[in-house]
Amino acid sequence: MKTRIILAPMLLAALALVFAGCGGAPTSAPNAPAAPQPGKPKIALIMKSLANEFFLTMENGARKHQEAHPGDYDLITEGIKDELDVNRQVQLVEQMIGQSVTAIVIAPADSKALVPVCKRAMDAGITVVNIDNKFDDAVLADKQVRIPFVGPDNRKGARACAEYLCKQLQPGDPVAIIEGVPSAYNGIQRKLGFEDALQATGMKIVASQVGDWEISKANQVVSAMITEHPELKAILCANDSMALGAVAALRAAGKAGAIKVIGYDGISAVREMIAKGDILATIEQHADQLAVFGIEYALEMIKTKQPPADRETPVDLITAENAK
Amino acid sequence: MLKQMRYGRTLADYAGLTAVLLGMILFFGLQTEHFLSMATFRTIANQIPDAVIIAVGMTYVLIIAGIDLSVGSVLALGAAVLGVCLVKWGWPLAMAIPMCLAVGLLCGALNGFMTIRWQLPSFIVTLGMMEAARGGAYLVTNSKTQYIGSSIERVAEANVAGLSLPFLLAMLVVVLAQTLLSGTVFGRHMFAVGANEESARLSGIRVRSVKFAVFAISGFLAALASIIHCSRLTAADPNSGAGYELQAIAAVVIGGTSLMGGRGSVINTFFGVVIIAVLENGLVQIGAQEPIKRLVTGAVIVIAVIVDYYRHRLETTRN
Repeated sequence: MKTRIILAPMLLAALALVFAGCGGAPTSAPNAPAAPQPGKPKIALIMKSLANEFFLTMENGARKHQEAHPGDYDLITEGIKDELDVNRQVQLVEQMIGQSVTAIVIAPADSKALVPVCKRAMDAGITVVNIDNKFDDAVLADKQVRIPFVGPDNRKGARACAEYLCKQLQPGDPVAIIEGVPSAYNGIQRKLGFEDALQATGMKIVASQVGDWEISKANQVVSAMITEHPELKAILCANDSMALGAVAALRAAGKAGAIKVIGYDGISAVREMIAKGDILATIEQHADQLAVFGIEYALEMIKTKQPPADRETPVDLITAENAK
Repeated sequence: MLKQMRYGRTLADYAGLTAVLLGMILFFGLQTEHFLSMATFRTIANQIPDAVIIAVGMTYVLIIAGIDLSVGSVLALGAAVLGVCLVKWGWPLAMAIPMCLAVGLLCGALNGFMTIRWQLPSFIVTLGMMEAARGGAYLVTNSKTQYIGSSIERVAEANVAGLSLPFLLAMLVVVLAQTLLSGTVFGRHMFAVGANEESARLSGIRVRSVKFAVFAISGFLAALASIIHCSRLTAADPNSGAGYELQAIAAVVIGGTSLMGGRGSVINTFFGVVIIAVLENGLVQIGAQEPIKRLVTGAVIVIAVIVDYYRHRLETTRN
């Protein structure tokens, strides 16, 4: 019995050591706002999953911006557990209304479900700016609200990436698309962008499958796909994690290099592979700047009280020439 | 006599599962152009090793009437630790692998310890570990996919007579685990604990030790699977392995292991994993869309369990 009692703290201590040893201090500790000064706007940045590299980069960018402009505003950042946790995000907006922040900059987990609560925030006099994932126009019209969208045009980005790929293919070449989660707006836009470019250049889409944004699912799907369609010339992936999974599948089948792969997001692992030539291209959406654009726009709106209008942020093509 | 009957039943199990498998292969073969090719079987052999190894651990856990929801997250944590050791710290593979395995073993041991120390349902304990290990994976990698590259590729590319090292390793795990289960005292004790914990205790079996060992094995195997997972993808994604626990449970149950404990076989689990893999590959190859894929996969799992119910009832009435 005695041994069992001392075993507990020992195991816990050991686990703590492992985590500590595995380094990398957590950069995403919840950010408590500094004591607010009267008259200084308090801006809440509400994101999707902070477990996703993209949103983590976004948060860090916003933090840096706030540190550079400490006199302009106070920043609260919040995220949800995973990208499907819509309820939690609604609660977060409600909490921010309760704390009477000046503005909310939000990357909605769902382009429809978050509209009503954002309307409540606006009714409470809070400025709301929509970033990353655009609110559904029909729902906005139905609720009679106008929320400005500041963010990239995913369809345009995907089309640019696919156009670069198509220049290296022959018209009529068979290609395949790996989609994101089927219900995600940006995933749908990226697929449409790919299709725009493929149809314009006369490529043949022989397969299109969901890869759930994730490396191992994409790996499994691509493995089966290239067995059934050995004639494939290119695979267009709606994000970079899935592109990594696709490349691994090609390598396992001995087809590395024979089938071209493109991604989307510009994560560091993919930049390395573009430099090496394993992946052809990806799209950089400047995640670190995305939230900053939203915050700057919110500050502008608070100051000038101008009516909201959408603002597009840049998307850049990353190829072997500018990958590193 | 009893022994003969038991062998007869096992053979019937294999025959049933093999028939299901052959039926599926035939169906997909007729529906697609390239399903019946070496490439398909190489793909499946390449895809399943990590799933097989996780499912072996899950078989043990279900046999003792427990459940381990943490294996997917422990796989992600193992992968994260492996990735960070190799990429950030530049450790050699020979040091990174033991570190990764140790982390998995520790997670499993912690699951086992909490389950026996406070008599908690393993569902809750491993649900907690599922969250904690996933958090650990994000923490260790700073939420970034670690691209590992060629150092780990060697593991996936090494092969003996055309069979890859991961596949051979998975087969070795299956054989060892089945031997441990059906040929040792520890195996008999697992069945006894799963069938009736109280009577197992009364008959002098050290129930707590058995449970602790089983959860530790499950954690260890999840970490072993993570090494194979990383070698296949040459990257460690902290988001990977989500839902693996449910897939493993499905494979084990398709193989006829009872969720109520006391019954199960590692070889049958292997068949379960292969059936799911064939299904997944076949559905992609016929170009089924996501909603259809999910509907069919769900239906196959439930049908397999219903078939098992009737087989089990037939057996009990016969006895």
